[in-house]
Amino acid sequence: MGSLAQILVNGILLGSMYGIAAIGLSLIFGTMRIIFLAQGTMIVLFAYLTYWSFEKAGIDPYLSLFTVVPLAFVMGLGLFYLLFRKAAALEDKNVSLLLAVGLMYLIDNLILKIWSATPRGLNLSYSGAVLVVGDIRVPWLRLALLGLALGSALVVYLFLKKTRVGTAVRAASEDMEATTIQGINSVWVCAVSFAIGIALAGVAGVGMATVYSFDYQFGFTFAIKALVALALGGMGNVFGALAGGLLLGIIENLAAYYIGIAWIEVASYGTFMLVLIFLPQGLFGRRALVKKV
Amino acid sequence: MKLLPDTSGLDKRKLTWTSLGALAVVFFATLPFYYDVHNGQFGVFFFNVFVYVIVAQGWNLISGYTGQISLGQNAFFGVGAYTMALLWFNDVTKTGYYFDPVLMILSGVTPFILAVLVGIPLLSRLRGDYFAFGTLGMGMIVTVLFINGGMFTGGAEGRMLVPKMPEGVVFNLRTHYWVAFLIAVLATLVVYFLTSSRVGLALKAIREDEVSAASHGINVLKYKVMAFAVGAFMAGVAGSIYGYYLLQVTPSNVLTSNWLFLPILMVVLGGTGTILGPWLGAFVIYLISWYGDSFFAGYHPIISGVVIILVMLFLPSGLMGLGQKVPGCGRGGRGSR
Amino acid sequence: MNQLLEVKELSVAYGDVRALWDVSLEVEEGSIVALVGANGAGKTTLLKAISGLLRPLGGHILFEGEDLVHLNTKRRVEKGIVMVPEGRRLFQALTVLENLRLGAYLPKARADYDDSLERVFTLFPVLKDRMNGKAGLMSGGEQQMLAIGRAVMARPRLVMIDEASLGLSPILTRTIFELIVALNEQGTTVLLVEQNIHMALKVCDKAYVMKTGHMVLSGTGDELLANDDVRKAYVGERGSRL
Repeated sequence: MGSLAQILVNGILLGSMYGIAAIGLSLIFGTMRIIFLAQGTMIVLFAYLTYWSFEKAGIDPYLSLFTVVPLAFVMGLGLFYLLFRKAAALEDKNVSLLLAVGLMYLIDNLILKIWSATPRGLNLSYSGAVLVVGDIRVPWLRLALLGLALGSALVVYLFLKKTRVGTAVRAASEDMEATTIQGINSVWVCAVSFAIGIALAGVAGVGMATVYSFDYQFGFTFAIKALVALALGGMGNVFGALAGGLLLGIIENLAAYYIGIAWIEVASYGTFMLVLIFLPQGLFGRRALVKKV
Repeated sequence: MKLLPDTSGLDKRKLTWTSLGALAVVFFATLPFYYDVHNGQFGVFFFNVFVYVIVAQGWNLISGYTGQISLGQNAFFGVGAYTMALLWFNDVTKTGYYFDPVLMILSGVTPFILAVLVGIPLLSRLRGDYFAFGTLGMGMIVTVLFINGGMFTGGAEGRMLVPKMPEGVVFNLRTHYWVAFLIAVLATLVVYFLTSSRVGLALKAIREDEVSAASHGINVLKYKVMAFAVGAFMAGVAGSIYGYYLLQVTPSNVLTSNWLFLPILMVVLGGTGTILGPWLGAFVIYLISWYGDSFFAGYHPIISGVVIILVMLFLPSGLMGLGQKVPGCGRGGRGSR
Repeated sequence: MNQLLEVKELSVAYGDVRALWDVSLEVEEGSIVALVGANGAGKTTLLKAISGLLRPLGGHILFEGEDLVHLNTKRRVEKGIVMVPEGRRLFQALTVLENLRLGAYLPKARADYDDSLERVFTLFPVLKDRMNGKAGLMSGGEQQMLAIGRAVMARPRLVMIDEASLGLSPILTRTIFELIVALNEQGTTVLLVEQNIHMALKVCDKAYVMKTGHMVLSGTGDELLANDDVRKAYVGERGSRL
């Protein structure tokens, strides 16, 4: 496990989940300017659901994709119309922030009540399968996770570029009022963006269940990591957000190997601060977030 | 073309609130004389509320009045607590006092410095939401650094302070109650005087329209950093008070997200950008959390979550704002009253 | 008299600050109406209220005799009331074609997409050349054309243009106004908000003058051009402000 190449590969594989989460955050933040801190918790929730359907009904997680993701989308629509619809239109972004926090507390502790604090994970018959290339070992499941990430990014990209609603989402991310002026139902555009963000959390959740063990406390830290990935990658660019995630994975792995496991967090949050201060538009971002007063 | 506000009504309201406030101050200041704060249930309750008020007022200053959402109050709280703990533990001031005012002030100074160091780069470049991210990142780094601080900070177990209690001094909650109350009132007065002065006008101008404020000659960065740092100072002092109470400072009791989110919730519930809002909010939220814990142990965080959601949905301008209009919607403002 | 749009005693406020005081206005179908006045007079506020972006305190807005009070912006666009906002508000990151497509977002407009596109390209040939370019990279004049084109894609009965000449050179301003006249000749009613009073008064059939939230004068373009107060206040002694 020593070679640089192995570390990089591991980093990319780890980063795929951050990437998927970051794309979701990017969509939600882009249209509604909400920092959806509950994204990590949603991912954990869907991981638990995947776990549960496997334990109870023996459903293979990859099959669960077909149930969890649509469920997540619908949940997203529901959450938006129930909770965020009014809040998204307010000037005061505290409200949406705290709504997300409340949701996070609520779901994290529901999970705790339902599934207890024991970390869960899936043990699949093919969990151990490894692809060996030269002296690099790549577990198939993690590779599949990367595949999921790339696939999701592609789907979202095509949605944004090629569909009518997607174009409206891009427009709304740039200028919500101008979008409304065209007669476009901006509430619906926000709802769809939000729902896709949650659906992506569903994808990440399924992925998480296949590879990692997780517990009810993962949510918050994961949400922050997703934010870091988004800051790294920059706003306004689906593949940028994904790249940000992969890059974060690499940074964490490099830190773990060269500095020590305890310092992984310092590396990620330190990167976050550095990026925010010196490169606020991220590596691939199209919108400048820097404002000079 | 402003409609002239009805000032007579306003003055009456102010008078009512001020007299109520004065009454409340007298009530709480004298409470320990006729209620056994040390042994009674409510002693701990009030103490915690006062500590939260201090942190909340700090957040209120930077986020409520100046409009820059900060997600780093818990970091400042923790830094303050640790400053006090480490200075006391290592006998740096050689006084060995319990409730040493010097230590408490120093506990405010370290987060103040941190806030200035972090605030200048973040506030000079970043749009609102990203400033929030930045403070979040700062908080996370601080937490991790303290956990990994090894010999210096005591790592994940933190520092035990009980052995440092001076000879003959007995722990009495009454002292903590009074100190916390005093500092909470002081913090409130600081916020009040700051915000009703020219400084406050500048802060509010920055909150409403930065570009316009800048064009009127207001040094936006200076005021933002100042509000941020003063808020951090308050949180730090609160941290030291809490440390004196717990007599043990660990990451899991002074750096947790409770100290981050609850003060925000308290201010927002009570009314952002108001003086009394944090008090109202602190009492209500802590009450819920207190009773939630006794009657619905384990369910209490779920209830907190639901409460936060309900408050945000139905009372976004807070309790103080009941009866006032909610500021303009994103799309350009409503004309109707 | 075929009044396409009637605004009756409209009052609008932003919170405590009153912006419009009992403002009235009529736009006859097929005409060009100019709304002029200094900065801050309330012209944009009036357009926003007609579009449905602002809810008025009192008064009525009637389109083809129907009170618009319960209709949101989307429904008003469907009825054919389309605004070209101040500063254009184009989607800079999107291409010219995508901006136009968004103009024709609603079902009825979408059905006529091809015809509308043809119409826009005929009116503004340069947009056809720049079809796949990013809107943000175009010059001021081209952006203004795109903004108007985007509105045309919505199959409007009434186009409300806010400050078409903003930031444009005199020559470009002239071109844009010629295009607006051409648009009107095709049958589209135009409500024009302008600070460039001279041009606006020249092309319009009727004009209204606003001052600090009040409607103070109205008349035909020529009448107002000849009016001493208007000339002195807005147009300048020698007539041309271009």
